[in-house]
Amino acid sequence: MADNRVLLEVRDLKVHFFTDEGVVKAVDGVDLTIESGKTLCLVGESGCGKSVACRAFLGIVQRPGRIVSGEILFHPDGNGATIDIAAMDPKGAEIRQIRGREISMIFQEPMTSLSPMYTVGNQIIENIVLHTRDSKEIARERTIQLLDQVGIPRPDRLVDEYPFRLSGGMRQRAMIAMALSCNPTMLIADEPTTALDVTTQAQIIDLILDLQHEYGMAVLFITHDLGVVAELADDVAVMYLGKVVERAPVDTIFNDPKHPYTQSLLRSIPKIAMRREELDPIKGMVPNPFRRPDGCTFHPRCPKAMEVCRHVVPSVTQLDPNHLVRCLLYESQEGRPDESAPAGRN
Amino acid sequence: MEHTANDTLDFHETTEESLKLEVASQWQLMWWKFRKHKLAVISGIIVILFYVVALFCEFFSPTVPTTYLDVYATAPPQRLRLFLDGKWFPHVTGYRGERDPVSFRKTWEIDYSTYIPVGLFVHGDPYKLWGLIPGDLHLIGPKNPGDPFYLMGADMIGRDVFGRLIYSSRISLTVGLVGMVISLSFGILLGGISGLVGGAVDNIIQRIIEILMSIPTLPVWLSLAAVVPIDWPALRVYFMISIILSLISWTGMARVVRSKFLALREEDFVMAAMLDGCSRGRLIMRHMLPSFLSHIIASITLWIPGLILGETALSFLGLGLRPPVVSWGVMLQDTQKVAVIARYPWLLAPGGAVFIIVLTLNFLGDGLRDAADPY
Amino acid sequence: MWKYLLRRSAYALFTVWVISLISFAVIQLPPGDYVSDLVNDLRAQAGEVSPEWEQRMREIYGFDDPFLVQYFKWMRNILTKGQFGYSFYYKRDAVEMITERLPMSFALSFLSTMFVWVVALPIGFYSAVHKYSIADYFASFMGFFGMAIPNFLLALIVLYLTYKYMGQAVIGLFSAEYASAAWSWGKLLDLMKHVWVPMVIIGISSTAGLIRTMRANLLDELNKPYVETARAKGLSETRLLIKYPLRHALNPFVSTLGWMLPSLVSGETIVSMVLNLPTSGPILYRALIQQDQYVAAGFILMLSTLTVVGTFISDLLLAWVDPRIRLQQ
Repeated sequence: MADNRVLLEVRDLKVHFFTDEGVVKAVDGVDLTIESGKTLCLVGESGCGKSVACRAFLGIVQRPGRIVSGEILFHPDGNGATIDIAAMDPKGAEIRQIRGREISMIFQEPMTSLSPMYTVGNQIIENIVLHTRDSKEIARERTIQLLDQVGIPRPDRLVDEYPFRLSGGMRQRAMIAMALSCNPTMLIADEPTTALDVTTQAQIIDLILDLQHEYGMAVLFITHDLGVVAELADDVAVMYLGKVVERAPVDTIFNDPKHPYTQSLLRSIPKIAMRREELDPIKGMVPNPFRRPDGCTFHPRCPKAMEVCRHVVPSVTQLDPNHLVRCLLYESQEGRPDESAPAGRN
Repeated sequence: MEHTANDTLDFHETTEESLKLEVASQWQLMWWKFRKHKLAVISGIIVILFYVVALFCEFFSPTVPTTYLDVYATAPPQRLRLFLDGKWFPHVTGYRGERDPVSFRKTWEIDYSTYIPVGLFVHGDPYKLWGLIPGDLHLIGPKNPGDPFYLMGADMIGRDVFGRLIYSSRISLTVGLVGMVISLSFGILLGGISGLVGGAVDNIIQRIIEILMSIPTLPVWLSLAAVVPIDWPALRVYFMISIILSLISWTGMARVVRSKFLALREEDFVMAAMLDGCSRGRLIMRHMLPSFLSHIIASITLWIPGLILGETALSFLGLGLRPPVVSWGVMLQDTQKVAVIARYPWLLAPGGAVFIIVLTLNFLGDGLRDAADPY
Repeated sequence: MWKYLLRRSAYALFTVWVISLISFAVIQLPPGDYVSDLVNDLRAQAGEVSPEWEQRMREIYGFDDPFLVQYFKWMRNILTKGQFGYSFYYKRDAVEMITERLPMSFALSFLSTMFVWVVALPIGFYSAVHKYSIADYFASFMGFFGMAIPNFLLALIVLYLTYKYMGQAVIGLFSAEYASAAWSWGKLLDLMKHVWVPMVIIGISSTAGLIRTMRANLLDELNKPYVETARAKGLSETRLLIKYPLRHALNPFVSTLGWMLPSLVSGETIVSMVLNLPTSGPILYRALIQQDQYVAAGFILMLSTLTVVGTFISDLLLAWVDPRIRLQQ
C-alpha cells in the first residue's frame, strides 16, 4: 500500500477567527503533505492551531473561523484527480461526499463526541447508510462486524447500547469503528488518547496501528505527546503559533532536530535515565493570540534568538529532500543576505 | 507573503490593553465588558433616571398627587409647545369643556385662544420632601399656579396623571427593592445552607423549593393579599405586600445561590483556602461570596421586574396597595372597565411606565449577567 | 424506569398534599370568617342580629373547630364524596362551580401551552442557528418586549384597540347567542373564534421566556463535540441540526413545562378577570374578596394540582425522550 503517493497536500493554509476582540490567526501558513498509507504526526503545544488545521482539512471550521487562503489538495485515487477542499463550499454536497467516506475523523473527547440520545449502533449505521446507500440491515451487520474488529466485546448487544453506558475507552473504540465504516483513505485523529487513562491509551494506539495495516489508510495523528509520536509516526510536523516550523521523518526529528522550538520540545520531556535538573522546560508562555510577536513568532522564547528574528519572518528552508525547517538560522545557507552571523549551531 | 505580523490590530495598543487586562480587578473587567453592551448601558441610564425621579418625586412632579380640579376631570393630555409665532414661549393650550346635554358627560376641546405659560423651576403646590423638608419648587409647571397643566391628561376626578405617575414611581419601584432584599436574604440564607451543608438538609430545602415553585403564584398572592386587613395603615400594607411578593420569589434566588456554592466548593482556590485552615465564616465571606456577588447583582436586576409586575397586578385588582397610596397598579385600577379605557385611554399611561422600567431592567440585567463572566 | 416513575408520582402526590394544606391554611388566615361578614352585612341592613344566631351559624359551618379538624373534614369530604364544601356567597355547591369553570381554565392553559411551544420552538431554533443575524436580534428584542408587558395590561390594550377599531371589545369566550347555550358544533366554532385572543395574551410572556431558553440551550448544544462528529460524517447541515442539537435541546424544553405552567395559570387567572372569561379566575377573585373560603380553597387546590399534574406529565415526557433518564438504574 505504501507507495509514497501523496494523498493530501496542504499549501500555505490560513484559517483566521474573526472575533469581536480582533482576528485570531489560528492557522497562519501551514504546509503539509501526507502520503497514502503513512502516518503523519502533527505536534505542538495546546493552542498552536493543530486542531483547527485538521478541521480545515475536512472543511468543518466553524464561525467565526474561516479558511482565508491556501490550498488543501486531495488526491483520492491513483489516476491523478485532484480536489481542492479549501475551495469547496463547506456545506455543499461534494465535500460531504468526502467527509466520513474518504477522510474520517476521531476526536479528543470520547465522552461527548457521541450523542447520548442515540444508540452507538444508530450513529454508526447512519454513517454507512449515508455514504453507501446500503439497507439498514446490511449496515447493521457491518456495524456489528466493525465493533467486533475494534475489540468491543459482545458487539451484537452493545450495538444497541447508549454511549453513556460505555467506558471512555469503549466509546473511543466505537468512534474508531464509525470512522472506519466506509473504508476511508485517510483518518484524522485529533488527540484521540488525551482524555483516556494510560493503559487505554496504549490499547487505542495499538488498535489504530493494527487497523492502519489492515485498511492501508493514511493517518494524520494530532498530539502533544512525543512518546506517542515515537511509537506511531512515519513523518512529523511540528507546529508553533499557526505555522509548521519543522517537518521531517520521525528519526530525523528525534535524532537531528533543527528548529530551536523542536529542540526545546525534545529537551522538555523527561527520560528515565535523566537526572532531575536536566529537565529543561521551554521558557516563557504561549503569547496572547491577539498580540503575536513580530518577526519570527518564537523569538521571545527562543534560546538562539538573534536581533534579526525580531523583524524578519522566516520562510521555509529545505535542508534535505525530506527535511524542512522555518528558521532564520538556516536561511543564510541558501545564500540569503544576512545582517548578522548565525549564533552557534549544535 | 510572510509579512503579516500586524495587519488587523494595532500592535502597540493591544499590548497596553493586554497588560491592563492582566492586572485588572474582577469589577474592572466586568465594567469593561458591560460598557460594550450599548443597549444595557442605555437601559442602565434610564433605570437610574427612574430611581432619581422616584427619589425626588416631589420636585419632579408638577403637582402633589392629592391636588384635584374637578372641573378638569377626564381632560385629555395637552401638548407641550416651545414656540409661539416663532418666539420662545413654552406653553400648553387651554381647554374648553362642554357638557353633553344628554349624557352629562364632559367633552373637551382644545382652546387655541388661551395659552398657559409653562416654566422650569416654578413655584406650585407646597410639599414636604421625604416628608421632612418643606418646599414648593417644581421642575416644570404652569407659571401661574392653578392653571390646568395635564401633560398626560387628567383622571376621573381631575388629578394630574403625569404627577401621580411620578409619585407612584416611588412606591412601585421600591416595592421591588424591598421585596428583593427580603427574598435575597431568604434565598441566600437557605440556598447557602443548602449548598454548603448538603446532604439531607439540602434535600429537604430543595423539595420545599420545588413545591413552592409548582404553585401558581398569582392565586397565592391573591389569597395572601386578601388577608391584609382593610384598616391597616398604608406603610404596613406596603411592607406586607413586599413580603407577600417575596414569599415565592426567594426560591429562584435560593437555587442560584445553591448552585453557585456547589460549583465553588469544587473550585481549587476554595479548596486551597480550606486546606490552609481558613475558617468557614472567612471562607464564605472572603472567598466565596465575592466570587459570585456579580452574579447575584445580575440576578437581582432580572428579579426586580417580576416583583414590580406582581405589585402592579395585585394593586390593579384592588388586592394590593390601596388609595390614598399611589402606585402604578393603583392608578390602573381605574381602567378595569372597558368603557373607561375606550374613552380615556391616557389612563393607561402607568402601564407604559411599568413596561419601560421592566424592559430596561431586563436589558440591564442581561448585560450585567454577560459581564459577570469576564473571562 | 419504573423506579423513576414511582418516585415522581409519589413526589407529585406529596406536593399536592402540601398544597392542599397551604391553600386551606391561607384561606383561614383572614381575621373573621364568612359568618362575621354576613353578620356585618345584616347589621348594616336590618340593624339587629342576635349573638345566639351568630353562634349557631358558626356551629353549622364548623368555624369554631380547630384548624386541623376543619382541614381534616374538608379533605375527607373531597376524597370520599368529591365535595369541596359549600359556597356561602353563591349558595351553591362549590364542586359544581369548580366543574363548571375549571375545564375552561384547563383548556385555556393547554391551548396557551401549545401556542407557546408552536411559536417559541421554531423562533428559538432559528435564532440560535442564525446567531447575531438581524432576525435573531429582532427575536431577542421581541422576547424582551413580551416579557416586559404585563399580561393584564396587554389584555387592556387589546380591549381598547378592539373597541376603538372594531366597535366592540373582545370580551368573553363566546358570542352572546352561545354564552349559555348547550355545547354544539356552532358553539365550539364560536369558541375557536374567540379563544385565540386570550390564548395569545396569556402565552406571550412565556413565549418570550421560552424563545430565550430555547436559543440558549441550542447555542450550548451547537458547540458540543457530538455535533462536530456528525458534521465530520458528512451529514447535511439541516439533517444534522435536527437529529442532534435540536433533539438535545428539546429535553430542557419539555422540562420547562414545570415553570411555564404555574405562570400560565397565573396569567390565565388575571387575564380572565380582565377579559371576563368564564374560567376560574373571576370566581376565585370574588371568592377571595368575599371570604367564600371553600370555593377559594377549592379553586386554589385544583389550579395548583393542575400545575403539579402538568409537571408530572412533563417528567414522563422527559423520561420518554431522554434515554439518560429512562435508563437510570
